[in-house]
Amino acid sequence: MRRLGQAKPSGLRTSVRLSLQYSFLYAVLSAMVFAMAYWFTQYEVQDWVRDQMKSDFRAVLAIHAEDGPAAMIATVERLAAVNFENARIYQIVDANGAVVAGNITSAFSSPVPDRIDAQDTHLAQLLNSEIEEYWLREDQIGPYRLILGSGDHIVAEVLEALSFALAIGYLIVVTLGLIVGVRIGRMTEQRIAEISATLSNIADGQLDARIPRTGTVGDDLTRVSTAINAMLDQIKRLLESQQQISTDIAHDMRTPLQHLRQRLETLRDSPAIAPDDVSDSLTQTEEIIATFNALLRIAQIEAGDRRERFVRTDISQIIANVADAFEPAAEDEGVSLTVTALETALTVWGDRDLLTQMLANLVENAIKHCPRGSHIQINCEARRADIILRITDDGPGIEQADHQRIFQRFFRGEKSRSSAGNGLGLALVKAIVDMHNGTVMIIQSTTGAVFEIRLPNDADAERV
Amino acid sequence: MRVLVIEDDRETAEYICSSLKALGHVTKYAQAGRQGFLDALDSDFDVMVVDRMLPGLDGLSLVKSVRSANVTTPILFLSALGGLNDRVDGLDAGADDYLVKPFAFSELSARLSALARRPPIQIEETRLSVRDLEVDLIRHSVCRDGQEISLQPREFRLLTYLVRNADRVVTRTMLLEAVWDFHFDPNTNVVETHISRLRNKVDKPFATPLIHTIRGAGYSLHA
Repeated sequence: MRRLGQAKPSGLRTSVRLSLQYSFLYAVLSAMVFAMAYWFTQYEVQDWVRDQMKSDFRAVLAIHAEDGPAAMIATVERLAAVNFENARIYQIVDANGAVVAGNITSAFSSPVPDRIDAQDTHLAQLLNSEIEEYWLREDQIGPYRLILGSGDHIVAEVLEALSFALAIGYLIVVTLGLIVGVRIGRMTEQRIAEISATLSNIADGQLDARIPRTGTVGDDLTRVSTAINAMLDQIKRLLESQQQISTDIAHDMRTPLQHLRQRLETLRDSPAIAPDDVSDSLTQTEEIIATFNALLRIAQIEAGDRRERFVRTDISQIIANVADAFEPAAEDEGVSLTVTALETALTVWGDRDLLTQMLANLVENAIKHCPRGSHIQINCEARRADIILRITDDGPGIEQADHQRIFQRFFRGEKSRSSAGNGLGLALVKAIVDMHNGTVMIIQSTTGAVFEIRLPNDADAERV
Repeated sequence: MRVLVIEDDRETAEYICSSLKALGHVTKYAQAGRQGFLDALDSDFDVMVVDRMLPGLDGLSLVKSVRSANVTTPILFLSALGGLNDRVDGLDAGADDYLVKPFAFSELSARLSALARRPPIQIEETRLSVRDLEVDLIRHSVCRDGQEISLQPREFRLLTYLVRNADRVVTRTMLLEAVWDFHFDPNTNVVETHISRLRNKVDKPFATPLIHTIRGAGYSLHA
């Protein structure tokens, strides 16, 4: 048999493959988000630099309009003088192409390029190693051309800082994602390994193996584990029931079959066949068939396939019918059989035939074990969610030690070993009660035996 | 009576047929479902015995087909399927009675006789009488030789069943099913004790007994 737990998977295990896939997807998505952040920042900073130059131009234009060309030239000269880190370019060129103000002495030819390399000869007197490019704009103010420029170092520095921060952040995010992913994968994998190890143990015949209850209550793997465990319990019950049947047949059918065989062999060898011998053999055959039928019936009831035929069943009618049927037989045995405190509507969700047989078996059991002069009482009442059915007698009672075993197949108490019966009556009772989701127990009593059966009241019964 | 036996196990079929012939009945035997179906439509039988599991056409479908062809001949299912639901399935399909293998021939014979004489259309009878015994089904009263006999409701049902099947054997199992609706075999002598009580009231005070015990089979009320 292929062992599930040890089966070598083709390729990576599901959990590892999943966690790697998720980590990769996570890394790609994070990279996309970070790239967008970089692009937006770059756009904003560049925009900001352009806006600054535009604002300078408007200020110079206003001074020219209000105070004339001389004031404008003086302003530009002052701006050039306070130029921090040589990051700015100012130049005013007159109509003749001569430089009249600014920090660049040679005139830019018109039109100026959008960008100019910092190493350009025009900019010889500007010294700033951090600037690679200047961005330029040119405006006409009266007869003058105003050329403004701005170094790219701000943009470069902002983007450099941003890149650094983003790179570090990205590393942290992806590493954390990977760690968490692998960890979750490991945890899942461990639990899946537990499940598959349990299943492989089952496959190897260890029917008691169950998946340990470790995970969080309610998560999907716990639900799967619980369902598998429940299924295993049911399989085990059914298998045990099957094994029990085989054992029972071997145990209790061999002996009567052996007796029958002996009888028939004797008949074969005897010169004259007495009719009584033949009818004894037939009686024995009937007993074997009855035991066989009872075993099969218990097995069928335990399999539960009759539940689909459940209907609303009146327990009081069943009690009346069974009491009526057994009353003369009880009287013949010198035992009284009475029904007390029967309410009118006592309904359960169940199978009429089987409930009848259940009660009949209990009554027969009581009649069989009670000496002459005993009293048997059937009592039934509804108490909240339960219908409580009691069969009480004042016979010899049942020993405490037998209270549980009495419902096992072929169990016979010390007192009943000598009497007739196949030892299946109470086992059948238990099977029928279980099938109806009820309970059967023996109540300790000093004055006899009390069998108490509780069945779900039809008003509250789950109709499964 | 004329009996059609549809049964695939040759040994069982021969046993049924020869035993029925010994009782003076006429039998016809079909081994396969299809042949059995044609026979069932073809001739006029008093009763049919149909096995549940047949080659070709299974017993359940056969009975359904026979019933849908408006054949009203009583049918008894014979089956090795002793399942709890199988009896109900068989009766639902249109059979009139159900007997689980292994069975005693006396049981089969008694059930077939009861089925064969069943009136085709249920006429609502109000009075039944056998010799000097009279049963009034409306008033639930019983008279013998002009004397009123007081019976418990269950005794009345038991007697009515015996009277309806007068001169035929009724088995313990038939009585358990008909009178108490018990579909299992109790170990206690339920039927015997009730019959004994009935005898005390119906037979004992009078010269000739009506209820007879048929050894190894059941009871019979003799007309």
